[in-house]
Amino acid sequence: MNPRNLGKMLHLVGLLALLAFTLFPFYWMVSSSLKEQTDLLAAPPVWTFVPTLSHYAEIWQDDTVSKALLNSLIVAACTTTLAIALGAPAAYALARFDFRGKKDLWFWFISNRMISPIVLALPVYLMAQSAGLLDTHLVLILIYLSFCLPIVVWICTDQFRSIPPDLEQAARLDHANQWDIFWRIYLPLGLPGIAVSAIFSFIFSWNELLYALVLTRSDVQTAPVIATSYMSGYELPWGKIMATGTVIVLPVTVFALLVSRHMVRGLTMGATK
Amino acid sequence: MSFLKIDNAVKRYGEAAVIHGVSLEAAAGEFVVFVGPSGCGKSTLLRMVAGLEDVSAGRVHIDGADVTDVPPADRNVAMVFQSYALYPHMSVRDNMAFGLKMIKTPKAEIERRVAEAAAILKLDPLLDRKPRALSGGQRQRVAIGRAIVRKPKLFLFDEPLSNLDAELRAEMRVEIATLHQRLGATMVYVTHDQVEAMTLADRIVVLRAGRIEQVGTPAELYDSPVNTFVAGFIGSPRMNFLSARVAAVEDRRVRLAHPALEGVALALRNGAIVQPGAEVTLGLRPEHLTLDAAGAPVSLSVTSEYAENLGGSSQLYARTADGTRVIVQAAGRHATTRGDALRLGARAEHAYLFDAQGRAL
Repeated sequence: MNPRNLGKMLHLVGLLALLAFTLFPFYWMVSSSLKEQTDLLAAPPVWTFVPTLSHYAEIWQDDTVSKALLNSLIVAACTTTLAIALGAPAAYALARFDFRGKKDLWFWFISNRMISPIVLALPVYLMAQSAGLLDTHLVLILIYLSFCLPIVVWICTDQFRSIPPDLEQAARLDHANQWDIFWRIYLPLGLPGIAVSAIFSFIFSWNELLYALVLTRSDVQTAPVIATSYMSGYELPWGKIMATGTVIVLPVTVFALLVSRHMVRGLTMGATK
Repeated sequence: MSFLKIDNAVKRYGEAAVIHGVSLEAAAGEFVVFVGPSGCGKSTLLRMVAGLEDVSAGRVHIDGADVTDVPPADRNVAMVFQSYALYPHMSVRDNMAFGLKMIKTPKAEIERRVAEAAAILKLDPLLDRKPRALSGGQRQRVAIGRAIVRKPKLFLFDEPLSNLDAELRAEMRVEIATLHQRLGATMVYVTHDQVEAMTLADRIVVLRAGRIEQVGTPAELYDSPVNTFVAGFIGSPRMNFLSARVAAVEDRRVRLAHPALEGVALALRNGAIVQPGAEVTLGLRPEHLTLDAAGAPVSLSVTSEYAENLGGSSQLYARTADGTRVIVQAAGRHATTRGDALRLGARAEHAYLFDAQGRAL
């Protein structure tokens, strides 16, 4: 075998290993959701089994899961919309204007991401409590926004910077005002970056567990909170948990697949001219 | 009355000035070309006219109105960028219509103007394509079309052809010249390519380091360059320069001392005064040198190095005894062997004299 083929082979093996590593938990979750409790607890684990939809039937018996999914959808959609609506104009300003404190502001945006979320859990809880916001959609949206905005600003700034300034100047000569330039030039051209940051924001808000657990009680519990809520007392209904997990993951997977074309473009932006 | 008037314009970035008090006037319908090497400030000056760069000092007037502090959109100018600056997400039609939409032109009028510009530039079949589906030349045409539809008072071109290959550049040059004749609009064009400047311009403005070196018609610049910079910049291949010393001055005619040079005394052109012994530079254009020195008023002894055969003409590279390179452009094909001794001839009126500071004598 010549070195070129060997290299290709190693590349392929590496990719397959990576694929297996990332997909196995997903496979395990879906397959477990289709197993009877006895198959689930079998040691060594069983690889062939008769699939059952009983766990799915069980989770749809009451409206707990559907209500939680709706809560998750409200929180994730609102967070994403607000993060883009506020973050994209901020990113445009950071990308194209010079103003005092720009560098500090820029650093402040990243530095937010350096703090471990759990450090802030208690202060945030106390603040939410005194503001009377506990167990509301609003409190989750606000706290998720504080996590998602820096990501949106970060990615979109980079994206907007890659748009040639000549376009803005041509538009200025074409009588476009600042808003027109942002709305008609930067926003459509920055779509890959905006799509990527929207996906990140949505997935983050959809999956977030810690703050959802701390800040909600009953009315606005999100899907991940419900999935973990089955782990109570001495019972560990793995099938039900995995079925709920699958139901939670499915919408974001479909969403990510739909926008994956933009996502790849966004993630590789600036790589080629 | 001048249509475009730049009055003592200065551009500073912090402490560093890049345009040092430039004054210039252009008549309505004139095609003015700013030419100069990279970094000479020609694009900056153009952008100051467009309003894309602030003017640090001085004034800019367009059609009699002081526009120094007027925003770019309200100056009624259109600009064609080096990068074309087409909006990549819009079709050719939308690119051309964008400026008109912004000023809320009625739809029917937009369509009419876009169709008119498309017809002029032969863009009809491309109107629904996106810029990425166009060739470089087509993109450039769209950029020009976008300028035309607005019917601006003044067209500004910032090195519009520099991204095109040589053949297309020549083709577009002719198109732009035709367009200028057809529209009769005032155009200011920036280039570093002196061929573009010579072929397109009514008047050329030669810039160096933020200052105007000379303004004139292409013929004036070619025939009477004011200094060695302009003489070297205008004309291709570049003018040959030989350092010499003044041997004698008689009756406003200068006899030069140079080991390779023989010939008659050269007349001083500009009423200049020069003393015997002064250092001067002799300029001879490659196309003015002949390979036959017999009977030529000026003759130059050189040693041949190599020849480039261009088909209908040849470029010969040679050196004088003191090591100065001399290029000769001669009609026809000429085979020379390295080391051949050649005697080059020139007419006296084709010899340019410059003083030690490079100013024309």
